[in-house]
Amino acid sequence: MSLPVRIWAAALLLAALLAGLVTRETLARNAGQEARLAMQTVDPRGLLTGHYVDLQLTEALAPGVACPAGLESAPNKLGWIALRPGPDFAHVSGYAARRADAARLGPMVMRGKAYCYAAPERRDMAGWVTLDIGVRRFHTDQAQAEALAKALSDRRTGEATAFAVVSVGQDGKARLKGVIVGGRRADLTWY
Amino acid sequence: MASYKVRLSADLDRWIADGLVPETSREPILAGVAEPRRLEASAALAVVGGLLAGVAVIAFVAANWNGIPRLGRFGLVLAIFLGVSGAAAWCAERRPLARNVLLLVASLVFAAAIGLTGQIFDIAGEPRAALHAAGLGAALLALSGRSSAAFAASLLFIAIGDAEMSWLGDRMASPPWLALAAPAGVALAWAWRSKPLAHAAAIALPLAALYLMIWGDVNMKANLEVFGLALAFGGLAAIARQLEAQDHPVAGVAYGWWVWAMLGFFAAAGLGPHGPPVLLHRALWLALAGGVTALGLHDRRPLVTAAGAVFLAGAIATILFDLGLGLMSAAAVFAVVAAAALAGGLALRRRARA
Repeated sequence: MSLPVRIWAAALLLAALLAGLVTRETLARNAGQEARLAMQTVDPRGLLTGHYVDLQLTEALAPGVACPAGLESAPNKLGWIALRPGPDFAHVSGYAARRADAARLGPMVMRGKAYCYAAPERRDMAGWVTLDIGVRRFHTDQAQAEALAKALSDRRTGEATAFAVVSVGQDGKARLKGVIVGGRRADLTWY
Repeated sequence: MASYKVRLSADLDRWIADGLVPETSREPILAGVAEPRRLEASAALAVVGGLLAGVAVIAFVAANWNGIPRLGRFGLVLAIFLGVSGAAAWCAERRPLARNVLLLVASLVFAAAIGLTGQIFDIAGEPRAALHAAGLGAALLALSGRSSAAFAASLLFIAIGDAEMSWLGDRMASPPWLALAAPAGVALAWAWRSKPLAHAAAIALPLAALYLMIWGDVNMKANLEVFGLALAFGGLAAIARQLEAQDHPVAGVAYGWWVWAMLGFFAAAGLGPHGPPVLLHRALWLALAGGVTALGLHDRRPLVTAAGAVFLAGAIATILFDLGLGLMSAAAVFAVVAAAALAGGLALRRRARA
């Protein structure tokens, strides 16, 4: 094979692989089951680096409430997280090493790590569950990022809520679709 | 430093004046000596321009500018990638330097395309995957078009990707890709006789060794594993030195960088809480750095001499700042190594005279 043909073959192969990845991910994201996950507010100055928003998926537990099933011993290992849909967002209802076991704890399961802290014996202390499902950043342009940062800072005063919208596919992988901050939804789109 | 031809011209004038060489031989002798090949300024600027053009595309994508929809940006970046690759294919046989630079640009543009895909699909959550994919793409382009610059970019992407590894406590989650890519880079630099790639690969190899050590989580007594790496790179440097003596064009580059690696690992082996006996390590460090400085001067290798000088200064500073090592002990270490250096120099001088 001559040098020009080899270069063309390599370039076309790489372009095709990238286009294939884009198509596969688009189809998977559109076909998955949508879930809203609670998002923790952090200092907005720390949230924005360049033009993306750092996402920390943390659900607060009410004081006196224990950790969901399977998370009592704080495994923080890769496994299956069970979710139970709620009126506003999906709550973490359990964790198991195997998918079949997690499916018994909630109607929706996704792959990832979870860490929980709770002190149910103390009525004055709230617990929390933090998820690591591979969804960490929401890329957007500067204007939208700044608007999201403002809405997130508003949320600190209790005026707004923040959620990450993910699509959970048949493979159990969570793919980010967008975020909802202060009632305003921003989606990751091609346009 | 004056080139060989300039020095020979001065020598010839002297030899003609002394009657050793007839004046008529001057021009034929000088005409028979080729000037060393140098990179022209226009070619160097082309390399810099190509590099900056690729970085500009990456920055354009990273800026997340909303003037063009993402689909449009993706199409634009992909079109630029195919256009630059096509230009490289067109230059393939007739302009090797242009082919090399254009494949470097294509590698950087492909990395930008992956970055844009990452923005849309949040692959940035796995920055390692994006960087490794960019590294693999650059390696494929490099191999297809025999581009040393694209393979150097591949090593850079893979090295950064490895540095982004997920950490599990003190351990890396998976083996570093650089452990495969760096030796491949050394082999390609050797096969293609490319000095720029030799620089990149010779630097990448000790980095790969460091990553492997972190991944393997080896904790031997007295940091023996780090001493082992110092020994290994000392051996590699010795082999490269031998090959350089046989006039291999890229061996000298590897020789210089692996001497840096040897000294770096040796110095690091004596630091930290579980190191070897301090006095012994510092004395050996001083002796090794002094020896390397002398070797670099002897071989006329500035990179080796610089390594020796830098680590000599580092050894002296470390000894003076070592906690628990009094000034009397420091003075003793300096004196013993100085005496050894003087005795060694004297012995070499006597042998040369004999």
